Amino acid sequence: MSQAATTAGSVPATSVASTEQYNYAIVKRFAIAAVLWGVFGMAAGVWIASQLAFPFLNFDIAQITFGRFRPVHTTAVIFGFGGNALFATSYYVVQRTCQTRLYGDSLASFTFYGWNLALILGVITYTMGITQGREYAEFNWQIDLIILVVWVVYFWIYLQTLLRRTQPHIYVANWFFMSFILATALLHIFNNLEVPVGIFHSHSYPLFSGVQDAMRQWWYGHNAVGFFLTAAFLGMMYYFVPKQAGRPIYSYKLSIIHFWALVFLYMWVGAHHLHWTALPDWVSTLAATFSILLLLPSWGGMINGIMTLSGAWDKLRTDPIMLFLITALSFYGMSTFEGPMMSLKSVNALSHYTDWTVGHVHSGALGWVAMITFGSLYHLIPRLWGVNLYSLKLVYVHFFLATIGIVLYITAMWVAGIGQGLMLRAFDQYGNLAYTFTESVVFLHRPYVVRAIGGGFFLAGMLIMAWNIAMTVRMGIKSEAREREEARAAEARTA
Amino acid sequence: MSTQDNRDKNQVETTGHVWDGDLQEYNNPLPRWWLWGFYATVVFALVYWLIYPAWPIGDSFTKGFATITYEVNGEERTTHWNTRALLARDMQTGEYAVRQREMLEQVASQDYETILADADSMSFVNAYAQGSFGTWCAACHQVGGAGVIGQYPNLRNDHWKWGGTVEQIEHTIREGRLGYMPGYRDTLTGDQMNEVAAYVLSLNDYDVDSDLADAGERIFTGMEGGCFQCHGEDGQGLASQGAPNLTNNIWGLIDVQGADSDSERLRLVANFVRDGIQREMPAFADRLSDDEIKMLTAYVHSLGGGQ
Repeated sequence: MSQAATTAGSVPATSVASTEQYNYAIVKRFAIAAVLWGVFGMAAGVWIASQLAFPFLNFDIAQITFGRFRPVHTTAVIFGFGGNALFATSYYVVQRTCQTRLYGDSLASFTFYGWNLALILGVITYTMGITQGREYAEFNWQIDLIILVVWVVYFWIYLQTLLRRTQPHIYVANWFFMSFILATALLHIFNNLEVPVGIFHSHSYPLFSGVQDAMRQWWYGHNAVGFFLTAAFLGMMYYFVPKQAGRPIYSYKLSIIHFWALVFLYMWVGAHHLHWTALPDWVSTLAATFSILLLLPSWGGMINGIMTLSGAWDKLRTDPIMLFLITALSFYGMSTFEGPMMSLKSVNALSHYTDWTVGHVHSGALGWVAMITFGSLYHLIPRLWGVNLYSLKLVYVHFFLATIGIVLYITAMWVAGIGQGLMLRAFDQYGNLAYTFTESVVFLHRPYVVRAIGGGFFLAGMLIMAWNIAMTVRMGIKSEAREREEARAAEARTA
Repeated sequence: MSTQDNRDKNQVETTGHVWDGDLQEYNNPLPRWWLWGFYATVVFALVYWLIYPAWPIGDSFTKGFATITYEVNGEERTTHWNTRALLARDMQTGEYAVRQREMLEQVASQDYETILADADSMSFVNAYAQGSFGTWCAACHQVGGAGVIGQYPNLRNDHWKWGGTVEQIEHTIREGRLGYMPGYRDTLTGDQMNEVAAYVLSLNDYDVDSDLADAGERIFTGMEGGCFQCHGEDGQGLASQGAPNLTNNIWGLIDVQGADSDSERLRLVANFVRDGIQREMPAFADRLSDDEIKMLTAYVHSLGGGQ
C-alpha cells in the first residue's frame, strides 16, 4: 500500500472500499466549494489589483470599486477557498487518523450550508457597502451570528469525532486543527462584541473604542493569520506531506515543542500591526519581542515537513504534488522569517502603510496557504472519488504558473513597498520631505502592473486546477456508475 | 504497510504510533541549530525587555534602562525611552529638523522682495512648497500646477485672473476666491450670443465673420450685454472681479485651442456665454501657518510669471 501511495496521482485500492466507513460526501462538497471559491476569490484579487494599476477599471460603478471588492477578495480567498479547504481536509484527516466515521452527518451538512451561506451573504453585503470596517471581520452582526453557530457546531463535531476514535493516540494534525477551531471561536466572538443599532439594522457599535478597539482588532487580525492561516494549514501539512511522501514525520518531539510554542506565542504578537501609533510603548515592545520569539517555533513546522522528505528527495523530480507541498513549506519558512523582521519597530517604521505588508501577506497566502492547499486537494480529490488524477501534466503546469505568479507578485511588492517607504522618509538638503505622497503613488504604477500580471499567472494556474479537478470528478462519477452497473449485473446473474 | 523506512541507515526509531495505515513518526531529537536559534531569540527578547518599556505591573510598567533627554519649556528633561519623547527630541535636535528650522527662520525674517531675490531662500522655498503644494493644492491645480481646462486655473502661465502680485496671490490663498459670471440665456438671444462669441474670438485674432464681430462688440461694450463692466472696455479684464483678460488667447475655462474648426470654437464660446460659470477656491488661512502661506505664495508666484 505504501508503495502505491508513493506514486504520484495513483490511488490505493483501499480508499474506494472505505467510502462506506467514512463520511466522504461532506469532504467532497467542501473540497469542490474550495475550488470554486478559489477561482472566484483569486479572480476578484486580479480584478482589484488591475484597478490599482489602472483606476479607470472601476468604471465609476460603486459596487465593483476597490473599496468594496477588497473585502470580497479577502473573504473569498481566506474563508471561501481556505475555509472550505480546511473543513474538507480536517473532516477527512480526523476520520482517517481516528479511524472512525465523522460524528453527526446532518450536523456536518449544516456546517457546509451555514458556512457558505454566511460567505455569500458577506460578499453581497460588501458590494452593497455594508461592512463593519474591521479588516478580515467585515461581516455585519447578523452574519457574525450565523458564523458563530456554524463554528460551535464545527467544534462539537470535531470533538465528538475525536472522542469516538478507535486509535489510542491523537495524531499531530488533529492538535493543530483543534487549536485552530478553538482559537478561531475565541477570536471571532471577542472581536465582534458589539451592540446592534437595531434588530433590523445592519450596523452595530463596537463595545470598545480607540486604541483598545484597535488592539482588539489586530489581536484578531494577526491570530486569524496565526490560527486560521497557519496552525490549521500546518494540520493539513502534517497529514498530507507524510502521506504523499509515504514516509514518517521527521520528529515527534519537534512537533510537540513547536506546537505548544506556536500556539502560546502567537496570541501575543497582534499589536505589532500598531507600532508607532497611540499604542503604549510597552505593548509595542511585547508584540515585537514575541514576534521574534515566534520565528523558530514557526520554522519547527517547516523543518518537520521538509525533513520528512529527507532520503526521498528524488520525489521532487517525479511528483508535482510533492513539489507543491515542499514549495509551500519553503514559502512558509520565508514569510515566517520576514514577518518577525517586519515586526521590529525600526523595520516597521519603513514597511508599515506600504505594499511591503501586502507582499508579505501574499508570500504567506499564495506561497504557503494556497500551495499547501493545492497539493493537499490534488492528493485528496482523486482518493475521494476513487480514481487517478485526470492529468499529472496539468499539475506541473499549474505549479509553474503559480510559482512564477508568486515571484512576480512578491518582488513587485518589495519594490513598491520599500520604494514608497524610502520616498516617504527621504529628506532634501534643507530638511524638507523630498517627495509628496502623490509622487510616491505615481512611482507605484509600474510595480502595480507587475503585481496584477503576477496575480494573473496565479489565477491561470487556479483555472487549470479547476479544469483538472472537474475532469477527475467526472471520471470518478462515471466509474462509480459503472461499478453500480456491474454490481447489479452480478447480482442478477447469481439470482 | 511497510516498515522499510525504519531500516534506513542512521535513522532513529519511530514512536511506534501508526495511523491510517502508514502514518508514522520518527522521534528525531530537536535539531541543534534550531534549539540554539530559539535560545538566541530568547536572549534577544530578554535584552530588549531590559532596555525598553516592556512588562505591565499593576497600572504601571517596567521602564527599561534606555533614556531620552530633551527639552521642555526651556528645561532639560531626562525620561525613560518612549516614542513621544523620541519625537520631541528629534524635532528639537534632529539633523533635518534643525536644518529646516534654520531655513524657516531665515525665510520668516525676510519680506517677499528679499525672498524672491535670494537664491538660497528661493531654493528652500521651492523644495518646501512643492511638498505643501502637493498636499494642499495639487488635488485641483495638479502636481505641476497646470490645472485642468474648464475647472481649475493653470498657475504656470503669466495669466492671473485675480492678480499676480505676491499680495494678491497671498490673499487668494488666505481667503479663497469665489468667481462668478452670470449666464445670458434669459438676457440675450441665440444670435446675440453668437455675435458676442465672435467678437471675443476676434479679440484673439481668430478668423470670424466681421459683421458678426461688429454686432458682438456693440453688445459687449453696450448696456445690452454689459460685459465691459467686468472684462473692461477693451476686454483686458479686471483682477478685482476675477474677470479674465479676453485678449491674450489664454483660455482657462473654454477649450478654444482644442477645438478643431471655426464653427466649433464659436459654439464653445457662445455656450459659455449662455451658461455662465461659478467656481470657488477654498480659504486656507485657518489650515496653514503664516510661514507656510508665505512660502506657497512665493512658490506660486515663481511658477508662472508673477507680477
